[in-house]
Amino acid sequence: MTSNNRHSSSFRDPSGFIFIDQGLVKRSISPLYFEQYNALKSTGFFKKLHNAGLLISHEELLASNDEVIIQPEQISFINYPYEWSFGQYKEAALLTLKIQKFALENGFSLKDASAFNVTFHKGKMVFIDTLSFDFYQENSPWRAYKQFITHFLGPLLLAKYNGLDSLKLMNSFIDGVPIKMLSSMLPFKTKLNPFLYSNIHLLTKFEDKHNEDYKGESKASHLSKKAQLNIIKGLYDFIKKMSLKSTSEWGNYYDKTNYANGAFDQKAEIIDGWIKQLGAKTVIDIGGNDGTFVRKINQELQEALVCDIDYNAVNANHILVKKNKETFMLPFVFDVLNPSANIGFNNKERDSFLKRIKAYAPDVTMALAFIHHMTLSGNIPFEMSAEFFSSFSKHLVIEFPQRTDSWVQRLLNTKGEFKGHFDFYNINNFESCYAKYFILVEKVAIDNSERVMYVYKAL
Amino acid sequence: MIHFLYFDPGLGAMVIQAIVAAVAGVLLFSKNLMYKIKVFLRVSKPEDDVFDDIDVKESDIESKSNSDKQ
Repeated sequence: MTSNNRHSSSFRDPSGFIFIDQGLVKRSISPLYFEQYNALKSTGFFKKLHNAGLLISHEELLASNDEVIIQPEQISFINYPYEWSFGQYKEAALLTLKIQKFALENGFSLKDASAFNVTFHKGKMVFIDTLSFDFYQENSPWRAYKQFITHFLGPLLLAKYNGLDSLKLMNSFIDGVPIKMLSSMLPFKTKLNPFLYSNIHLLTKFEDKHNEDYKGESKASHLSKKAQLNIIKGLYDFIKKMSLKSTSEWGNYYDKTNYANGAFDQKAEIIDGWIKQLGAKTVIDIGGNDGTFVRKINQELQEALVCDIDYNAVNANHILVKKNKETFMLPFVFDVLNPSANIGFNNKERDSFLKRIKAYAPDVTMALAFIHHMTLSGNIPFEMSAEFFSSFSKHLVIEFPQRTDSWVQRLLNTKGEFKGHFDFYNINNFESCYAKYFILVEKVAIDNSERVMYVYKAL
Repeated sequence: MIHFLYFDPGLGAMVIQAIVAAVAGVLLFSKNLMYKIKVFLRVSKPEDDVFDDIDVKESDIESKSNSDKQ
C-alpha cells in the first residue's frame, strides 16, 4: 500500500500524515515516530485513551520498516473551533488538559495543543490527532503551553470579556490568537487576578523579552513534573468554572413566536411524518436553534447536524446533548450569510462548510422559520436560497411564513421606506423560484397560523 | 524526544512556566484549604456541572473495549 494521496491539511507534523484512500481517512506514520508509536501501543496507552473515549480509536492496517498505516474511526462531519459554542470550546479545552495530565502520569506528553486536534463527534469532544504524543522528558516544561493559551484559554477569555463572537477569531488565526493581541484586548481587571496575570499578561511580557533571542542563547529551563501538573490542574479548574452572563435573543424564542400550541405540535407531527416517509437517517437543521424540532422527530436518526447563528442557542443545545447523553446530535454555530470558508495554506487546510456538507450529503435539509430571515434580513433572493439548499441534499423540508405573519411584518417594517422593494416576498414567488431547483412532494398549511410547510425533492 | 520544531513553543513561554506553576500551586493549595473549611462548616454546595473531572477514571479505561465503536 502506498500512501501518496496526502491530505492538504496534514503537513505540520513530520511524524506522519493523513491521506484519503478510497474515501477513507487513513494515517501514515513515518519511521521518525516509530519509537513513540510503538511505546504508545505496547504500554496500552492508546488503548486506555480509546476505551475512555478521549482519543479517536484506530486499527493498524500495515506495519513495514518504512511506514505504519493506521485507519482511525471515520468522522462524519469535522467541525472546527470557530464553529463551537462557548460550552463546546470549554469541553475541548478541558479534554486537552485531561489528556495531558493522563499522558504525564504515563510518561508521555502532548507535543502540541492545537484546538484543531479536537472535534465534536458522537455527542462529545474527542481528540483526533493520534500522533500528538511524545515521550515526557524529566523536568522539562510543557512545549505546548503557549499553544494551549493561544488556542484555548485566550479565545475563551475573549468570549467571556469581549463577547461570544470573539470565538470566530480562530478563523483568522489558525495558529492561535497572538498573545500580545490577547493581552491587549482583555480588560484591566484581568491583571489583578494572579491566575490570569501569570498565564496571560506575564506570559506576554516574557515572550516579548525573549523573542529576539534568535541564537537560542537562553538556557534550557527546568520544570518538575509536579509543577507542570499544577499548571495543568490550575488551568483545568479555572476553565471548568468559566461561565457567561449574557442571555440569548433566541433563548426564549419559542415563547415569543406566533404559534398556538396546537400549531407547534402540528408542525412537529408534519416533520416527523415526512422524515418517516423519506426514510431519512441523516438531517441538517439550518437555523435549528437548540434542536427542539429535531428532538421531536420520533424516527431514529443516525445523526442530526443542528446549526444556528446564535451562540447561546448552540450552547443550550450542547448542554442538552450532555445532559441527555445524546450521541446523534451535532450542534454547531453557522451563519448562512457567511459560512466557514476554505482557509489555511493553499486555502486547503480547513474545509469550507459547503465542501464538508456536500461530502456529507444529509438525507434531508430542514429550514424551519428560517426563509424569512434569509430573504428579508439577509436580502437573499428566493432563487439563490433555493440553489443553496439544493446543492447538498436530496430533500428539503422548508417552512414558509406568509407576508401576513407578524414576524414577517416586523422584518418588513424594519425596511422603512424600502419596504416596497420586498413585494416579491410572497408565496407565489417562493413556489415558482423553488420549482426551478426542486420538485414539490407535498405541501401542508399549518392550522391557525400564517405558515406553510413544504417538502421538496432536488431536481 | 522529537526535537525539530514544527511550531514555535516560545522561549518566554518555556521560561515562565516555573512562575505560572508556582502561582497555580499557591492557588490550588488555598482553594483546597477553603474547600476543606467549607466542608467542615457544611456550607459546601453540590456541583451541578456537565463537565467531567480532570482525572481519567479507572472504570473508563478498563473492559468496555468496543462500546464506543459502532
